[in-house]
Amino acid sequence: MENLLEVKNLKVEFFSNKSLVPVIDGATFFIKKDEILVLAGESGSGKTLTALSITKILPNSAIITAGSAKFMGVDLLTMDEKALTDIRGREIAYIFQEPTSYLNPVFTVGIQITEVIMLHQNKNKLDAFNEAKELLSLVKIKDPQRVLSSYPHQLSGGMNQRVFLAMALACKPKLLIADEPTTALDVTIEAQILQLLLDLKKTMGFSLLFITHNLSIAKKIADRICVMCKGKIVEEGSVDKIFDAPEHFHTRELINAYEKIGKL
Amino acid sequence: MITYIFRRLFGLLPMLFGITLISFMVIKLAPGKPVMLQYSLNPKISLDEIKRLEKIEGFDKPLYVQYFNWLGNLSRFNFGRSISDGRFVMDKIVERLPVTLSINILSLFLIFLIAVPWGIRSALKQGSTFDRVSTLVMFLLFAAPTFWLALLLMQLFCIQFGWLPISGITSLDFEHFNWWQKVFDIGRHLFLPVLVSGLAGFAGICRYMRSNMIEALQQPYIYTARAKGLSENKIIYKHALRNALLPIVTILGLSLPGLLGGSIIFESIFAIPGIGRLFYEAAMMRDINLIMAEIILVAVLTMLGNLIADVLYAYVDPRIRYKK
Amino acid sequence: MQNKSLNIGILIIGFLTIIAILAPLVSPFDPSVIDQDSLLMPPSLKHFLGTDTLGRDLFSRIVFGARISLGIGLVAVGIATLVGLILGAAAGFYGGRIDGLIMRFVDIMLCFPTFYLILAVAAILGPSIFNIMIIVGLTSWMGVARLVRGEILSLKEREFIQAEKSIGASNLRIIIRHLIPNAIGPVLVSATLGIGGAILLESGLSFLGLGVQPPTPSWGNILIESKSTLGVAWWITVFPGLAILTTILGFNLIAEGLKKKLGG
Repeated sequence: MENLLEVKNLKVEFFSNKSLVPVIDGATFFIKKDEILVLAGESGSGKTLTALSITKILPNSAIITAGSAKFMGVDLLTMDEKALTDIRGREIAYIFQEPTSYLNPVFTVGIQITEVIMLHQNKNKLDAFNEAKELLSLVKIKDPQRVLSSYPHQLSGGMNQRVFLAMALACKPKLLIADEPTTALDVTIEAQILQLLLDLKKTMGFSLLFITHNLSIAKKIADRICVMCKGKIVEEGSVDKIFDAPEHFHTRELINAYEKIGKL
Repeated sequence: MITYIFRRLFGLLPMLFGITLISFMVIKLAPGKPVMLQYSLNPKISLDEIKRLEKIEGFDKPLYVQYFNWLGNLSRFNFGRSISDGRFVMDKIVERLPVTLSINILSLFLIFLIAVPWGIRSALKQGSTFDRVSTLVMFLLFAAPTFWLALLLMQLFCIQFGWLPISGITSLDFEHFNWWQKVFDIGRHLFLPVLVSGLAGFAGICRYMRSNMIEALQQPYIYTARAKGLSENKIIYKHALRNALLPIVTILGLSLPGLLGGSIIFESIFAIPGIGRLFYEAAMMRDINLIMAEIILVAVLTMLGNLIADVLYAYVDPRIRYKK
Repeated sequence: MQNKSLNIGILIIGFLTIIAILAPLVSPFDPSVIDQDSLLMPPSLKHFLGTDTLGRDLFSRIVFGARISLGIGLVAVGIATLVGLILGAAAGFYGGRIDGLIMRFVDIMLCFPTFYLILAVAAILGPSIFNIMIIVGLTSWMGVARLVRGEILSLKEREFIQAEKSIGASNLRIIIRHLIPNAIGPVLVSATLGIGGAILLESGLSFLGLGVQPPTPSWGNILIESKSTLGVAWWITVFPGLAILTTILGFNLIAEGLKKKLGG
């Protein structure tokens, strides 16, 4: 099978007191078509920055100093801004950790979803709204009409994550990047959202880059796992290989942490 | 929303009471007898006359009775007569109010029109020469006394260059002008007063807008907007700007006391017949009724300004409008 | 990192304070001596900053004016800080009805545009340096009160206060020993800004003739003359204003620097 995304030797550095501090130091990994790759690691290991670097939506103080990210054979990191905006949201979409703060508080859910539809699919407002309604039904929201005219703060965290998912999938992306999408939610909602994500993946057929610090989730959903530590990918392999024969001591630490939680 | 407005309006009643109470205490601060204070300019007045006047004005009664009598008069908008010309205080204020309000509203409008885009530009080009120079200028403007700026500008524009008239709001031959000439004439007269009354507020709003915009651009939802593939312009002028502009509405109400206070000084300097100058004249003549009426008026205006700002803010910010 | 604004601010204010203290030594002329032979002289070697309409040396008048302005600023802010500290601490510590009453009072006081209130009281009590100090002080304590209340409300919940309470320390002891010292930082910043504000108010009041009365020189009342000498003697307008500007700039810089220092 051909690789959808190939990240090679990615290096990201932060400006701090007029000098550069590397945060991601030569990360290399790939995602195949239709695959679920889990990027696991402790908080602060550089997972989120890796995800943001792929389409270059980093904070101002961070710059990519080396590496490539080939998406369907084309390097995104050398692409100009105009071409990138065409990929973001259409070919590669994101969902984030705290949906409520990642949605704009002063616009209705409807405006925020239709915005991306109108941008990438050249649809008028009415069509976009109808499509948004369908999308909300797709993510199992029972009263799409009400949700569309609501503001994010009026909805629960779980509901907002569904909204976010609908917004991300609006243009049928080939790659969905999910950055700890369930960490801020409670356990039952977490299970629902994960199930929804797996179901949608089956019907829509996108690849999924799932970022988490929680190996129990990784075990449940992953095809393959990459373990990240201090800005590097330290281990990569199938779920069985990672859990049965971890090579790197950091992987063992993560597994230990997961087993402790399991025993509780 | 409507219940919110009503609740707020109801909350104003104790405030109103407090305002009148403090104003009343200010009058009673005066050492000696109030009648003496008012008629001290008249040396021929006799002691019997003073006693008689005290009775008429009720100054022989206990303080709380005086207060409630006074309050009763206020509730009928009767603030008494001015000692300088014997006219009703209310009439004098009402004829002067439009000038002050229109200058302040005009300068507030101009402040926003210029300060908001200026602050945004500063925020977007953070650290650039434009940003650094403007930060320095704002800091200087913040520290400069308005009346001094007024004097400098007068020196420059009215005397050195002779471009603008030095005082008043119309020229002597105003009557003979056609419509366009009249507008132009008033514009020439009001240019400096509006400029001066706006300068201090301008610096404040520029700085405020800059920091709001910088903060908004660091919020998580900006990453979302970027991840959606929106253009940089859409991200800045739709997603960030809306959030950065909301709190500015509150500033509208909060800048009112400053503007009204500033009116005293620039109306005196530029000889503009507004309530600021009226108040200054009243203070110089110790025209107690006029002083009190104006103090209460500006306090109530400020109170209403705050209320309008709060209600407006609640209206524009959906997080408050639709409280769960 | 060096705190540039704090250093520059302290330099400016230190310099002005020394000049104010040493005024009789620094000034070449008696500030109130009238010299018929040198009316409205432009700046020269003899009169650095020129002379006024009565032939008095402007430099000496500004130097002596520094005493008045700085003095009024300090005393007025002292009064305002004391009142604000007491009322704010009481409101924050006792809460409930006392808090409600005090904060209502603050709201009401904030409705009066300060300049109107000050002008009214100055008109009724009669202008004198002593009265101005008190009036400015009593009309500008509200910010401090709000600040102290807020600080104390958040400190009150912290552990060390709770511990102190549990061992039965008296309220006054807790307020004086713990709450106020902890709230003092932000109060210091606002007091420093307040001195600039008070000097600005005093100069405006004196400029209108209801503040410091001639022949005592103050920066505000020197400027009264500038209205009549506008086209004739620019120095009378420029220099006293520059003195006010520099002083306020100095205090604002110190406040900015303190804020930076306390903030991180």
